[in-house]
Amino acid sequence: MAGALQGEGGLTMRIVLASIAIMLACVLAGLAYGDFALSVADLLRALFRSPDAPPQALMIVWSIRLPRVLLAVLVGMALAVAGAIAQAVLRNPLADPGIIGINSGAALAAMVVLVGLDDVSPAILPVAGFAGASAMVAAIFLLSWKNGTSSLRLLLIGIGLGALASAATTFLTAVGDIGDVQRAMVWMAGSLFDSNWTKVAVLAAWSVPVMVAAWLVSHHLDATLLGDGIAANLGQRVQLTRTLLILGCTLLSGAAVAAAGLVSFVGLLAPHIARRLLGPLHRALLPVAALTGGTLVVIADVASRMVIAPAQLPVGLTIALVGAPFFGWLMWNRRNA
Amino acid sequence: MKASSHPQVFAAAGLLATGLVLTSMAALVVGTTAIPVDHVWSALVGFDGSRDHLVIWTQRLPRVLIGAMVGAALASAGAIMQAVTSNPLASPGLLGINAGAVLAVVLAIVAFGTQSGGILVWYAFFGAATAAVIVYALGAAGRGGATPLKLALAGAIFTAFTGSVTTAILLFDQSTLDQVRLWTAGTLSGRTMSDARAVAPYVCLGLIGAILFSPQVMTLSLGGEIARAVGQNQTVWRAVAAIVVVLLAGSAVALAGPIGFDGLIVPHIVRLVVGIDYRRVIPLSMLGGALLVVNADTCVRLAMPEQDLPVGVTMAILGAPFFIWLARFRVRAA
Repeated sequence: MAGALQGEGGLTMRIVLASIAIMLACVLAGLAYGDFALSVADLLRALFRSPDAPPQALMIVWSIRLPRVLLAVLVGMALAVAGAIAQAVLRNPLADPGIIGINSGAALAAMVVLVGLDDVSPAILPVAGFAGASAMVAAIFLLSWKNGTSSLRLLLIGIGLGALASAATTFLTAVGDIGDVQRAMVWMAGSLFDSNWTKVAVLAAWSVPVMVAAWLVSHHLDATLLGDGIAANLGQRVQLTRTLLILGCTLLSGAAVAAAGLVSFVGLLAPHIARRLLGPLHRALLPVAALTGGTLVVIADVASRMVIAPAQLPVGLTIALVGAPFFGWLMWNRRNA
Repeated sequence: MKASSHPQVFAAAGLLATGLVLTSMAALVVGTTAIPVDHVWSALVGFDGSRDHLVIWTQRLPRVLIGAMVGAALASAGAIMQAVTSNPLASPGLLGINAGAVLAVVLAIVAFGTQSGGILVWYAFFGAATAAVIVYALGAAGRGGATPLKLALAGAIFTAFTGSVTTAILLFDQSTLDQVRLWTAGTLSGRTMSDARAVAPYVCLGLIGAILFSPQVMTLSLGGEIARAVGQNQTVWRAVAAIVVVLLAGSAVALAGPIGFDGLIVPHIVRLVVGIDYRRVIPLSMLGGALLVVNADTCVRLAMPEQDLPVGVTMAILGAPFFIWLARFRVRAA
């Protein structure tokens, strides 16, 4: 917790640099490992497109693994920042973007597309997921708007509408064609199966500006966490800020959902780890949470390619299978802290 | 939110109790064949083996009794969880109870093939209890004991892990998915009087405990400083609260599957109506939860007699709009 008090001080900087180093190491691992292992030398030659790089390595790195690893990093970062924003806006450490309806809306839309409609191409899943998430957030926001919103009202209405959407999803799960249901479950578990440069470009265009903007207004996140009264005394336009923050959270998690389906747990876990390292101030918290989230998803993706190769587990499952025990071990080790 | 005076609370309790008796009677009367009220009554007081009496005792009465037990158990367990963790997002599922029960049931089906509902009840109960022990051990480890945040995080970790194991199994095993998908959505169909009798003692123990200890739950909900000021041993009472929650929610999940709605939302509805005094919220949640589940299950039987619609779905359709309306008009901007 000392890090928060040091501002630009040594500890915070060291943690940020360490996070960057760890993430780069994981990215390299993600590029080197897979069905076809590359030597470090070949990997570096291919990455820098040196003339003596083997053509096979060039192909594997540039058209298969690099887009996939970059997509994993971006998804993790977007979800982590979205989670940190949701936790600040709802003033609840257990909140993740799912609470404001993102996941329930996206899941319902995907379920309707896969189970309810016949002969649709899976290509519309990202669009449907994004549309479902946005529609749900809009509904929650509008229903909780009465001369402005409050954190508690947003939270409660989010719970209520989320329950309705989940009920509809559950109904489709229980009565739909079993094959369709299983396909929908894969998407809902979050996967990076069909990563490509287009997806990377789209996700980057949606999420990077929002993440930068969130970091630039991180003092507003700190004020939001203190409660509406204090935030207003600090000169914040409370309702406008909350609206914009929710919009940012929706864009980030909606874009992540469109890219990789429902990857759970990152939005809860990454900000929490960053908070344990640095304390609650968002200026340092957001970058480290983003790096942690990116690292988590990259590691999980490598694991999901290796564990039951040649089959692949959906990455969202691996994150929970790897991340949950790790987080439990952290808790156990620091139980007297 | 304003606390209400005693007459209002008694009125609410009376109203809910009357509603519960009436809907239970209605649930016994209606169905694919309507059974007249006097036949229902004679079946309850003296079983004579006629077809109507058989329908009552094998089909309708178990569903009404189990629905009422499940509803009362889940809602009061949710109220206790929300009080102890001071978190409006808390529900019995937070202790990993639902996830543990589902995994146990799925593993049982994978390992031993199709099982009768009566045996699955015990797997579910065992999974729920195991989950609660693991979550509590992790959440209570170290100095400070089971603080609300540590418990909640331990529950979230456990739920994410077991949920993923379950999903991974179901993604590769279509026949098991087909068997459990209705149960995981929550259903009361196929439940018998012997199921009800087997689990009833645990539910009753939990319900009595919840009412007896509601003053202590109230003190816990006011936070650490007040609890210390009145000399309450928080560690002991948090553990007691956790045991009561496991008894209630574990039995409920065993009987009806992992229904999340009741334990999360009914306590909110009750609090929005009568305020935050848990000595009132807990008993009223029991009545309200029972009323909601019995109604939801009756709707299931009437709406789709051929197709088994999960009770968790009708419950959300009945309860969520009311809750949203309450949240919109009773929660002042904070």
